[in-house]
Amino acid sequence: MKKDIRNLRNIGISAHIDSGKTTLTERILYYTQRIHTMHDVKGKDGVGATMDSMELEKERGITIASAATYCEWLGHEINIIDTPGHVDFTIEVERSLRVLDGAILVLCGVAGVQSQSITVDQQMKRYKVPCIAFVNKCDRSGANPERVVRQLKEKLGHNAVAMQLPIGLEADFEGVVDLVSMKAVYFGGDKGEEVRLAEIPADLMQAALDRREILIDQASMFSDELTEAILEEQDVTTEMITDGIRAGVVARQLTPVFMGSAYKNKGIQPLLDAVTQLLPCPLDVENQALDMNKEEQPIVLSNEIDKPLVALAFKLEDGPYGQLTYIRVYQGALAKGDTIVNVRTGKKVKVGRLIRMHADQMEDIDTIPAGYIGALFGIDCASGDSFVTPGVSLTMTSMYVPEPVISLAIFPKDNKSEVNVSKALGRFTKEDPTFKAYVNDETGDTIISGMGELHLEVYIERMRREYQAEVDTSPPRVAYRETITQKAEFDYIHKKQTGGAGQFGRVSGYMAPAPDEDFVFENKIVGGAIPTQFIAACEKGFKNSMVKGPKMEFPVTGIRVVIDDGASHSVDSSDMAFQAAARGAFLQGYAKAKPVIHEPIMKVVVETPTEFQGAVMATLNQRRALIVGTQDEGPFTVIEAQVPLSEMFGYSTDLRSVTKGQAQFTMEFLTYKQVPQSIAEALMKKAAEEKKNVA
Amino acid sequence: MLLNPQFLRTNAEPRSDKIIFIKERNFSMLKNELILKNPLRRMGYGSDDILDKGQFGAVMARAGVGKTAFLVQLALNSMLREKKVLHISLDDPVKKVSLWYKEVFSRIANQYEIPQSGQLWDSVLPHRFIMTFRVEGFSVPKLEERLTDLIEQDIFKPDMMIIDGIPFGESVSPDLVKLKDLVGQHPMRVWFTIRTHRHEDPDPDGTPRQFIPVADLFEAAILLVPVGKQIQIKALKGAGAAEDQPDLMLDPATMLILDPA
Repeated sequence: MKKDIRNLRNIGISAHIDSGKTTLTERILYYTQRIHTMHDVKGKDGVGATMDSMELEKERGITIASAATYCEWLGHEINIIDTPGHVDFTIEVERSLRVLDGAILVLCGVAGVQSQSITVDQQMKRYKVPCIAFVNKCDRSGANPERVVRQLKEKLGHNAVAMQLPIGLEADFEGVVDLVSMKAVYFGGDKGEEVRLAEIPADLMQAALDRREILIDQASMFSDELTEAILEEQDVTTEMITDGIRAGVVARQLTPVFMGSAYKNKGIQPLLDAVTQLLPCPLDVENQALDMNKEEQPIVLSNEIDKPLVALAFKLEDGPYGQLTYIRVYQGALAKGDTIVNVRTGKKVKVGRLIRMHADQMEDIDTIPAGYIGALFGIDCASGDSFVTPGVSLTMTSMYVPEPVISLAIFPKDNKSEVNVSKALGRFTKEDPTFKAYVNDETGDTIISGMGELHLEVYIERMRREYQAEVDTSPPRVAYRETITQKAEFDYIHKKQTGGAGQFGRVSGYMAPAPDEDFVFENKIVGGAIPTQFIAACEKGFKNSMVKGPKMEFPVTGIRVVIDDGASHSVDSSDMAFQAAARGAFLQGYAKAKPVIHEPIMKVVVETPTEFQGAVMATLNQRRALIVGTQDEGPFTVIEAQVPLSEMFGYSTDLRSVTKGQAQFTMEFLTYKQVPQSIAEALMKKAAEEKKNVA
Repeated sequence: MLLNPQFLRTNAEPRSDKIIFIKERNFSMLKNELILKNPLRRMGYGSDDILDKGQFGAVMARAGVGKTAFLVQLALNSMLREKKVLHISLDDPVKKVSLWYKEVFSRIANQYEIPQSGQLWDSVLPHRFIMTFRVEGFSVPKLEERLTDLIEQDIFKPDMMIIDGIPFGESVSPDLVKLKDLVGQHPMRVWFTIRTHRHEDPDPDGTPRQFIPVADLFEAAILLVPVGKQIQIKALKGAGAAEDQPDLMLDPATMLILDPA
């Protein structure tokens, strides 16, 4: 690792699906001579791009896990993390942007700003990451970089400024005009490795001059020197312009836009130049920690390697050699053999092997100084854990972890799979905080939750490939309830007196609905009709009867039981007898109390661009929703509805489909309500069939 | 034996008219009881709706006197009669408006000791839809677009609309004219709240100044006036304004319309 931190860049490459991130990274690695051959993401040779090392990634042509690498360009060391574009793998973007100093926002020259572009932009805002934009695929039919620049302004609110002008577009795309140096840039050679500067074509000169005016005007907002030069009509140098733009980028008030075609090997080298000239080094970014001794007061960290260590673990990978922990050092230095403290657990650990990553390849190193990203072996920790020098009371804030939106029940196909599923889930949930697994107490099902169907699909496939664990899946079972709707009396005698020790107990009273309670038991026995010592047994008998309702074996709730009479036998009455009597009384009363099935109703809140609110309401309507109302928030509308949980399975997919991925929803439990008759009948029919199958 | 929960039936579940369900009859009776207890019937209006389709009504008062509470009671009365109410608020978010309804309904149910009020509430809730806007983001064309969406998608077709929070100043008249056209196309009754101000003297007959320029557009107007410890409901326009009609009172503690009986 190089020592001059001013020449270090830690950048992420983020975008919507299929914008060209991985292809761009492949070109960057090639031109920086980090790799010597380029491969396509889903190429015919089957090798796949460098950063897509997982088999599943190569097969599907998608990036599933973020991958880190590094390269050198113009004397600068650039650490790059290539991230996935699917929202299902959003945690990879979240954790990467948390630890990076800058980013390249890749946009498709045809589709422009898309749904995940908006999401990654929000993520960049969350972590205050400066970015530059790259309009890719300028060789495609329909490419229009000017439109994309406009969308950056209108849809993402960026102060976007074009740094280049395309020379030709679509099939005629040849190169770019650099508006700072006012030169045309062409890319020759087999792989675009030969950058040639030339005069600007005459037909583009006026447009270039106009755009340059805009560029200089924008840059001058961040540079007094440039402003002065303009006002005094002095020469405006490229350094002045670059410095002004850089100041705007670092302040996150300006987004310079570059253009090209990664697949056609055009526009990459100027983008690399821009990374070194415009994106911040670690010294330009203020990093804060919280002082645990001073009520979490924020403290600005220094990048000096002599200071105590403060580092953040942002990713884990469980591999054959143990846990690999990716770490960013913010202050001090992490060296082999050091003893460091995990702030969350308070445990001291000794640093063993230190690694630098290049996709899935490792290079041993001795130290990771402040400003750098590396990895450790053999340290057990969680994503988001902070590591410090012993005695230091600082901690870093972790990354934001969104809640899962979709669940599935999984059923191992055989015993061997069951054991392996457990191992697989243990590992995956540790590596990915957005992937959760738990056992539903009521149904006994193993439920997995994630950020989307693709997310769960990938993990199920990985279970199969990496752990030989085959599972069947189904929608999670809904936790229905039974309750009664009217008062009913009971009077039950439990008697077994055929000779020898017998059983006798009589319980009389009534049950009534208690909507706000689970179970209420009232003893109104007078005159010792049921001896006091057996009252608890009665209550237990009633309570036990509610575990599985008589009708559908769903838990019973909302019942008030009052016992006001009974009878006992001096010899044959016992706890057991009165429990049995209570059970019989429950069944007797329950049958007369007009029992019904209740289903969980969820409060669902959908936030959608206003243009889709009609479509969103239609999707809710189709799911037996009661739409409570809509709240107009300008470009967005928030829709609140009450929806049965049983109707919510797969909703995230539907919602993404009708809103082009631009809407989000949250769901929380609200209450239980009676199911409609048709649903009750369907449930009864299904239960009867299941019983028949079991028999 | 399971009950047939017809009171929760959706559009997808046509009711069988051949069987009378005791439960539903009970709910109908409960609803009728509450409807009959509606004190506004004593104000002399021809129908429970007070307004005919396409007509405007206004409820006027200073801030905090009870305009929203009054209109919520009007709305609940319509909902009990299975009429659909679209409540538009420019002041409050969905949650708060929803709470208004819940709170007022609970108080009414308690006052008249209505049994199974929870289930009754569940049965009337589908007859209400709340829409909120920011004042600066509200416009008649936008409202028309939203309304058309609701109707065309078969989500909600209102019989009554409440618009709570439009600032009534000099520039509101053209909007009201457009609204009048809109409700002509989607026949419904519309109630507005008009906030009056202490520093603005009303007309000699008590009509607030904000109302005068647009009075022609309204078929009914009700003024809420604090009188001692109570709030008088005074009909300024419409059938309820006839001299022989009694004024009603609003209980400031519960914000419910007091039943003179």
